[in-house]
Amino acid sequence: MNNAAPTVLVIDDDPSVLKALSLLLRSMEMKVAAFCSPHEFLEQYQPETHGCLVLDYSMPNFNGLELQQELTARDIGLPVIFLTGHGDIPLSVQAMKQGAVDFLTKPVLDQDLIEAIHAAFEKDRLNRRTRAELAEILQRLATLTPREREVLAHVVSGRLNKQIAADLGTVEKTIKVHRAHLMTKLKVRSLADLVRLAERGGIKSKLPPDQKA
Amino acid sequence: MSWITVLWSMLASACLTFALLHLFIWAKGIQPWANLSFAVAATAAAVITGMELMAMRAASIEQLAMILRWAHLPVLILWVAIVGFVRCYFDAGRPWLAWTVGILRGLALILSLTTGQNLFFDEITGLKPVTILGSDTISIAEGTLNPWYVVGPLSTLALAGFVLDAAFTMWRRGTDNGRRRAIIFSSSIIFFMLTAVGHTALVNAGVLDSPYIVGLSFMPILFAMSYELSHDLFHSVQLAHQLQANEAELRLSEQRMSLAASAADLRLWEWDIVHDEIWSTDKQRMLFGIALSEKISFEHFLSVLHDEDRERVRLSVEKSLKGNGHFESEYRIVYPDGRIIWVAARGRIEFDNGQPLRMLGVSIDITRRKQAELEVQQQRNELTHLSRVNLLGELSGSLAHELNQPLAAILSNAQAAQRFLARDKADIAEVLDILKDIVSEDRRAGAIIQRLRILLRKGEVRRLPLDVNKVVKDVLKLLQSDLVNQSITVTIDLDQKLPVVNGDRVQLQQVLLNLILNACEAMSRSKTSNRQLSVRTERADTDLIKVSVGDRGPGISPESLESIFQPFFTTKKQGMGLGLTICRNIISAHEGQLRASNSVGGGAVLHFTLPASPGVSV
Repeated sequence: MNNAAPTVLVIDDDPSVLKALSLLLRSMEMKVAAFCSPHEFLEQYQPETHGCLVLDYSMPNFNGLELQQELTARDIGLPVIFLTGHGDIPLSVQAMKQGAVDFLTKPVLDQDLIEAIHAAFEKDRLNRRTRAELAEILQRLATLTPREREVLAHVVSGRLNKQIAADLGTVEKTIKVHRAHLMTKLKVRSLADLVRLAERGGIKSKLPPDQKA
Repeated sequence: MSWITVLWSMLASACLTFALLHLFIWAKGIQPWANLSFAVAATAAAVITGMELMAMRAASIEQLAMILRWAHLPVLILWVAIVGFVRCYFDAGRPWLAWTVGILRGLALILSLTTGQNLFFDEITGLKPVTILGSDTISIAEGTLNPWYVVGPLSTLALAGFVLDAAFTMWRRGTDNGRRRAIIFSSSIIFFMLTAVGHTALVNAGVLDSPYIVGLSFMPILFAMSYELSHDLFHSVQLAHQLQANEAELRLSEQRMSLAASAADLRLWEWDIVHDEIWSTDKQRMLFGIALSEKISFEHFLSVLHDEDRERVRLSVEKSLKGNGHFESEYRIVYPDGRIIWVAARGRIEFDNGQPLRMLGVSIDITRRKQAELEVQQQRNELTHLSRVNLLGELSGSLAHELNQPLAAILSNAQAAQRFLARDKADIAEVLDILKDIVSEDRRAGAIIQRLRILLRKGEVRRLPLDVNKVVKDVLKLLQSDLVNQSITVTIDLDQKLPVVNGDRVQLQQVLLNLILNACEAMSRSKTSNRQLSVRTERADTDLIKVSVGDRGPGISPESLESIFQPFFTTKKQGMGLGLTICRNIISAHEGQLRASNSVGGGAVLHFTLPASPGVSV
């Protein structure tokens, strides 16, 4: 994660509009990268670039929604602001469902654009933080041994040490040791913290088939 | 008076009557030489008859001898006159035979004057009184015959030969008239030979006691000749009657014609090209201050035409003068009071050795028909315009986008400029650059509005020379964002050497808009990769261009290929079903054809032709 200023990535097939938008954004002291087609953007995009996308909806060969789907497929988490010539409601609903930040009608006022961009930046920052936290958790989880993972799953499902020992065919003492280890490795102090972390890390509670909780 | 005197006098006067009659006809100049020949022959016959009578009444031998001697002069004249008549009237008979007749008869006259007492007798010994039919007494010569006597019958034989030869020629010509004449003439000559010459010889030889009957036996020939000439006269009279009847008929038919012409409101006219005079039955001419009988010149005629028609009519007339001589045109005549009438004219030029002599023709007032046509045309234009507006309604979304682009650029540029200027150190160069962009974007918006305005305008249809490729490009520009929105790929194949066509830009744009929108519609359910539109222009013939719009949609069912052009045929929920009907009307009005077909690779192709305007290619 870098701390550089966020970039506004503008994509519009109309060179005049692209140039004008870039100018406007530069006049707002923003960092701008301009692309005249979605393909150009996809080719040149660096994952460490952060900020948001300002996208013309109607472009030849590759419309806005298709690009949005492509971004999801490539796991590019940039928030998208759509620009469109006509405020088509079904279209905007679908765009918002797919995670667009805003849907603006051309010609766009600088104030509207700047608000949308700030909102997008905020979203991007949050996204990135969440993603970073998740990455950290996953990294911690990765340090666990398979036996510790097994014990964790049982702990998260709320079973007692004695029950876990019985399930796993070992003694309670051993389970206690495993539990202490994984609390240290995962850097949590309470059971509540452990459960929250395991949940975010995607660890599912594990109940033996014959015992329903 | 004895009956012989009466009979012979009558014969002589009959001959003279014929002679006078034909002399008169000769003087009038109808078939002059034939009539003169006849008149001379008849006169000679009269003289011969008179001399015969004198011979019969001769008191002394000397008197009779002298009469018989000089009788050969009228005979010579008679023979020459017959030959002349045959030559002049029938245009037959061999010249050498004619000369033989003349020479022999001339010789006979000379011999009659030089040998013996005359050609008949070496010496007349006495006068023998003979009683004819018991009541009248005449004198007949008796004596020794002249040995040269044979020359006379010889000349007669030559004349018979000449006439028979001429008759044979006429027979061979084969016309009924000629054959009849041949028979009449040859038979009358033979009759004359047998009677006159034979009989004279017998009388002279003393075998027969009878008066000479040369004059009498010549009568059939005279009658035959007279009959022939009278036949002509009769024929002329008949012709004159017929002519009179024809004239009456002609007058009647003229009356009928003018009645029919005025009933049908037709005007007949004639242009004497050599003297440049136009005559016409046009009563309206009175309105121009031109009297009906007065003739006007071609230029004068052109001067009353509508300004827009004048050169066209002039060219059309010049073309027919140089070409096949047929003239057909419709034009407007402007009356001095400002009233305009439409006239359709049709004419034909008569040539003489390639030189135009005159043009005959009719013209008809078609003002009412033209007005109706104009009204229909106006309604059609109205409908065409409505359909165009409708078409643009379908396009409104993409047009809005098209217009939004420059507006968006302008707004962003302007707001950027404001921000740049609001800074402490304003970058003037940057602002100037922005203003330049604003101006060019404004122009772009203006051009789009202009294009729309042209399409929406309800103007008069104007055919001007235009480049079809440019029309295609304009329409595609207008449709660009629509095509983009529908993810349609366009293949454009324009023939760069396309000839110019005469057409109405807006209407042709409308046709292309319609065809392309239909093609897009046909592909709306196809996969994106299959949405391929092709627009193609090419030269179909030396004087024909072809524009095709093809899609990759489902195509058109074979039974609908023609019915899609019918009014109210539609596959759209909100369509009027008039688009293609109007397109076909437009193309037909441009003298082209609009058709539909299916392409081999799938999909439909709509193509239209337009005649190339005569001139250079673009």
